[in-house]
Amino acid sequence: MQIKHIFISSLYKASMSTEEHKSIDQDEGSVNEYSDNDSKTVNVGAGVRIEGRIDGAEVSDISGTLSGTINSSNINLNSSGIFNGDMSGSDITISGNVEGDINSDQYLIVNQSANIKGTIEYSSLQVSYGAKIQGTIRHRGSVHSYSTNLDPIEKEDKTENDLNDQKEDV
Amino acid sequence: MSIFGSSEKKVEEKTTFNFDIDKENINQSNLAKDIKINGSIEAKDYIDFAGYLTGTIKSSTIYLKSNSYVKGTITGDTITIEGEVDGDIHAKDLHIKSTAKIKGNIRYNNIDIQNGSIINADLFYSS
Repeated sequence: MQIKHIFISSLYKASMSTEEHKSIDQDEGSVNEYSDNDSKTVNVGAGVRIEGRIDGAEVSDISGTLSGTINSSNINLNSSGIFNGDMSGSDITISGNVEGDINSDQYLIVNQSANIKGTIEYSSLQVSYGAKIQGTIRHRGSVHSYSTNLDPIEKEDKTENDLNDQKEDV
Repeated sequence: MSIFGSSEKKVEEKTTFNFDIDKENINQSNLAKDIKINGSIEAKDYIDFAGYLTGTIKSSTIYLKSNSYVKGTITGDTITIEGEVDGDIHAKDLHIKSTAKIKGNIRYNNIDIQNGSIINADLFYSS
């Protein structure tokens, strides 16, 4: 059976299928706010450690420690969260510690409490004052936008030279 | 008519006089748009730069406006970038605005980056 919904917190300390999850919802409905079975949510509670790979999740909320690879359209690493490995998604918000690569399709928000070591690839990046970033930042698809704007001084010198050449020719 | 005209003149004299004093108190250098510099700029307090520079800039506060282009090294305590930079940036407080395009190395103590900026750089944090 396909696991659609993983809910892991310091209370449960395990990953479970949707059916198992349902029964816990009924017993302790107030504890779990991710009660919708169709929402592909991963929630790693504070104090929980996970090693491995998370794929196909829609919303990932990490307050614990995660080592490995995560592919999720929405990733939220809270201030107590620690991540080691490769992270890729569309909308990513970082408030905790990251060591590794971050790859964002759309919006990457780095909050004040964040501490990042590694490579960041982004489309839209916002960093709050106080965040610590050590490593390489790359803008997606900026190879083209850069080449068109290369060194205006050299460009204009060239055009002047061209004009002079033309004059000499005449 | 003559009375009205003389009172107007007095006001003008006062305002221009005050403006001159303010200018002297601030050590501000303005380098306007379309200025091209090959070399280095060094100032004490504040540089407002909107031109093209190949070389180095050094000042405590540097403001690179949206049409500026700098190829080289920028050193300062507080640096705000709206323009294009190709080179090394050394700053205590670095503010990167949405129109900025940065390529090179960035060494900083504090940084904030606005949405929309294009950065291809290596970042080095020091406390």
